[in-house]
Amino acid sequence: MKQTIKTITKKDFLIFINTLLKDKTYEIVGVKAKGKRFVFDILNSADELRLDYDVTILPPKKYFLPQYESLMKFSLEKPFEVKETMEDRPRIIIGMHPYDIIALQQTDTQYLDPQKDDFYKKRRDNTLIIGVDIQNVSERSFAASMKTHVTDTGFDVLLTNLGTTYAVTVGTEKGSSLLKKYATTKEATSAEIKKIKEVRDNIAKKYKKKVKVDKKDWPSILAANYVNSFWEERSDVCMECSSCTMVCPTCFCYDVHDQVSLNLKDGQRIRTWDGCMLRGFTKVGSGEIFREEPKERYRHRFYRKGNYLPQRFGFVACVGCGRCGIACLPDIADPCDVMNELASFGQEEDAGRFFITQKTDVAEKETIHVPRSATIKRAEKRSEIDTLFEIELDDQKPLGHAPGQFVEVSVFGYGEAPFGVSSPPSDTPSFEIVVRKIGNVTSKLILMKPGDKVGIRGPLGTGFDVKALEGKNLLFTSGGTGMVPMRSLINYATDKKNRGKFKDITILYGAKRPKEILFMDDVEQWKKVQNVQCELTVDKCEANECWGGCVGLITTLFPKVRMDKFDSKNTIAVVIGPPVMYKFVIQCLRTMGIPEENILVSLERQMKCGVGKCGHCQINGVYVCKEGPVFNYKQIKALPEAFE
Amino acid sequence: MKPKPRVAVFDFADCEGCELEIADLEEEILDLIEIVDIVSFREVMKEHSDNYDIAIVEGSIMRPMDERRLRSIRSKAKILVALGACATMGGVNKIRNQWMPDEVIKSVYGDANVKGNELFDVFQTKALKEVVPVDYYIHGCPIDRDEFKQVITAIALGKKPEIPVYPVCVECKKNENICQFELGTFCLGPITRAGCKAICPTHNSPCEGCRGLIKKAETDCVKEVLERYKLSYEDIRRRCTMYNYGRKECSYDE
Repeated sequence: MKQTIKTITKKDFLIFINTLLKDKTYEIVGVKAKGKRFVFDILNSADELRLDYDVTILPPKKYFLPQYESLMKFSLEKPFEVKETMEDRPRIIIGMHPYDIIALQQTDTQYLDPQKDDFYKKRRDNTLIIGVDIQNVSERSFAASMKTHVTDTGFDVLLTNLGTTYAVTVGTEKGSSLLKKYATTKEATSAEIKKIKEVRDNIAKKYKKKVKVDKKDWPSILAANYVNSFWEERSDVCMECSSCTMVCPTCFCYDVHDQVSLNLKDGQRIRTWDGCMLRGFTKVGSGEIFREEPKERYRHRFYRKGNYLPQRFGFVACVGCGRCGIACLPDIADPCDVMNELASFGQEEDAGRFFITQKTDVAEKETIHVPRSATIKRAEKRSEIDTLFEIELDDQKPLGHAPGQFVEVSVFGYGEAPFGVSSPPSDTPSFEIVVRKIGNVTSKLILMKPGDKVGIRGPLGTGFDVKALEGKNLLFTSGGTGMVPMRSLINYATDKKNRGKFKDITILYGAKRPKEILFMDDVEQWKKVQNVQCELTVDKCEANECWGGCVGLITTLFPKVRMDKFDSKNTIAVVIGPPVMYKFVIQCLRTMGIPEENILVSLERQMKCGVGKCGHCQINGVYVCKEGPVFNYKQIKALPEAFE
Repeated sequence: MKPKPRVAVFDFADCEGCELEIADLEEEILDLIEIVDIVSFREVMKEHSDNYDIAIVEGSIMRPMDERRLRSIRSKAKILVALGACATMGGVNKIRNQWMPDEVIKSVYGDANVKGNELFDVFQTKALKEVVPVDYYIHGCPIDRDEFKQVITAIALGKKPEIPVYPVCVECKKNENICQFELGTFCLGPITRAGCKAICPTHNSPCEGCRGLIKKAETDCVKEVLERYKLSYEDIRRRCTMYNYGRKECSYDE
């Protein structure tokens, strides 16, 4: 819609707000005073509105992604009953400053992509935004440097203070009909329109705090300083409280947990704000924390804002509101100060990239949160510590996965955890996963029996492009539970229907102990397939364990690969295993002459949402759950956090 | 149907306020007794049984006789839950550990002859885990009722409760409070374990650290913040004495 400009007297504006309040169609939220600070809160009367505020403690993101929200209610008594929970009244937010409007538009990019967050989307559709041009500038804000102190889009209505009247810029049809129904406005005169421009031009002059670096240069300056003692010196005094991310309008990472009512009959799945500055943020099931050091977490926050998201979406994810600067007790969180200091270090050419572009095909779904009902068909112990489950989707549709993809399995009351799919692609509604007791979800799963219900989301992530492997030699190397997703691919490739599509197949498989070897019967089958070489090793074998095979790390198997007929240039190597394994295996593969671009890896991180939103699985700028877990080694090795 | 687990509630040196929080569950008490049988709870009932599966213990251990009693409770219970700051970490009772026990007796009872009376035979205050193994912790002074429910349901479902290991600031920010430091008050929120929903700062009172410190008061960041807000190190030491005397950072397993 073409923008129109009207005016409203301040008296009529108050009447407009009070009419809206009386009407009760909408919940009316506006900026109110809280002590010496300001907050967005439910408005009881128009007099409470403080459109002269400088900045609010929390950004209005809390109305789109609340601090705590129930994603669904579930029953622990009935076999499978889950209800999405969202009953929000239509809402009008009055008084959003341009930087907060722009921050919301940025969040749209992430949350309204094809795998859109249905909760966010509903609230977004249900909310009208009445923005206001900044009248007083917060002393920590540097929005003018970020060019976010004014905006031409993102609002339904925008107010500009012209003294005795407000200029009303109408941005959408929704805004226009709201005004028509509830407000008395006049067409703006050309003098008034000129005055709006003057007012806006003046806002920039009120800013004392300035970033010396143009925002288009943030990515390159950050890239040049990835390795810099600056991060450590600064983070030495970090309280690790994540206040900076909590108050940030462009931070949207979250955590999810199940809450059970005291009667043990029902419960809710709760989503709450999480922060990448908190130590446990990157912790995976096995206990490993991927950004262990405070300096790594501190650096991550700035890179996410100034390098990763700019590379992904083309905008710097800092709008210069200055809230983090106010919230940070040791005062190290302010991006303006950090960028100004980094700029003084200078920059090198071609400092590297921390983001890779990988095509991800995702179908638009109605919900990204609520799992599908499924039934455990078979539970079989596959090693001393691993249990294989065959799970059937109750809607009788096939899972439709590619090898390497994963699913999120819900056990209501216990939570949700990611599992690589272990069976090859199939037309039947059932598939297999392997469960090893690690956390709450797996501890419960291993006790479950055929007939028990679980929830399934997926398939998720990017798996192996099996077409691209055709006509090649395949060399599979897996360690430990890396065999779980690998089996999906091996069974696909060794299947009678597909065997002819691939040349020689070599399978190298290492486990810690003989009793931890998975899929021994599959291994026996693979050995019988034509032109398949299969070698096993264990790290250690106790005296009382029965093992006739090789003892040693996975790398000891490489000399056994029949090199005579080995055409390394025409070989694709697939590596899946614990983080520590990659470095050594890849070295062996390189020695064999396999080019880096022919090496595929699958990485493990904490994949919580599985759809590139919650932020837990990020490796530099890459979402493992979405762009991965399968990556081309040549691409991913450029990321410092991938194999550190 | 599986028999309901039998639960007994006990107390040592404490104010019984955490037990009161359980009693204050009001109508939800009905849900609680739906999933467990309460066989002993001196604060709310006369009946008592020594046959229980879960012992919920409030209070600190002050004397050899307490230690004997706690060991006996432990030997009968399959699961032992420490209830509230006195039990989880010694809490306010540890303030006394700044002095030797005989000095304390003298300053309280003067010249009265208490020798040989085991009621007065005190040693330095201990948290439960300093005497017996503890399976679950419900932190705080007093405890948070929702966290109590969370731990009880976790025990009933056989899962590990998800207790935060991040500071109170996270919850305080979510509540959109004005920072206590901004108000010129000194708050232990940045170094105290969350889970209380930042109840004190939300009601305009600084955090006193009752859920245990997740960061040492001696770390650089704390010094930096103290300096910035013109507060002395002595201030923080004194404030930490209230609940955290002699205590290092709390462990992630608690």
